[in-house]
Amino acid sequence: MELPGPGHPAGVRALMLIVLAAAWLAGGGASAAVASPPARPDTAGTHTVIIEGMRFHPEKIVVRRGEKIKWINKDPFPHTVTAADGRFDSGVIAPDGTWTYVPGKAGEYDYRCTFHPTMKGRLIVR
Amino acid sequence: MKKLMYFLGVVLSASVALASAQGGGPTDPQIAAIVVAANQVDIDAGKLAEHKAHAEKVKAFARRMVTDHTGVNQAAVDLAHKLSLTPESNPTSESLTQGGEQNIARLQKLRGEAFDKAYIDHEVAYHESVLEALDKTLIPSAQNPQLKALLVKVRPAFVDHLEHAKMLQRSLGKS
Repeated sequence: MELPGPGHPAGVRALMLIVLAAAWLAGGGASAAVASPPARPDTAGTHTVIIEGMRFHPEKIVVRRGEKIKWINKDPFPHTVTAADGRFDSGVIAPDGTWTYVPGKAGEYDYRCTFHPTMKGRLIVR
Repeated sequence: MKKLMYFLGVVLSASVALASAQGGGPTDPQIAAIVVAANQVDIDAGKLAEHKAHAEKVKAFARRMVTDHTGVNQAAVDLAHKLSLTPESNPTSESLTQGGEQNIARLQKLRGEAFDKAYIDHEVAYHESVLEALDKTLIPSAQNPQLKALLVKVRPAFVDHLEHAKMLQRSLGKS
């Protein structure tokens, strides 16, 4: 994205900032930064986290207690979804495999893949 | 360690330079052969280290290399099959295979902590070299969009393995 710079007149710069701010708000930027409300599950009531390219997408997910979260492994090798505090652990999720978890307790949980030290995610349960 | 990295770097860049001199980087069938050779080299080293490594964390790393690189290779072979792409041996794939055999021969003579250190040092150098080849040659040269996409998709695996190997290298004591 091209940011407003000294090359633009002040009016144009102001307009660009407004557009940028609007785009940010539309993208959930402000709400995510301020309150992180739970994301909406799909029609079946399930949230989905895709595991691909050694990353969890999205890296941070906010849900309500009792809602289902499904992790789908799209990498050609296995991964795990393992809470740092031990609250949940998927065990091995094979390529093209899935793992579903329904959190029962509100809290903020960092999780990782025990196989791959660069992979980190965060689950926030409201 | 530095010497080894230099060697790997020279082998890869010399072969790549040769391929470039012959006309604009490796072709898709050559890239497929390079990917398969690169993964196989690390699978072979991993299979040796699974049994021979001293520290449990090094054994676990070796098992991870075998599993992940086998998965990447399977994905590459499946895609090649789907695209009717026959991997074509070339100077880069051949030097990778040869380098892998030399590494195994060297590792077979070592035991205990010396083995762990030599194996992990090589893993760091190897993953750095493959990443460089991916970024400078393989990804830019790939013509088929699905082949290019596969290379882009598996690149983070090499990054993760490199970080993992570096963590182990630090904990084993530097060269």
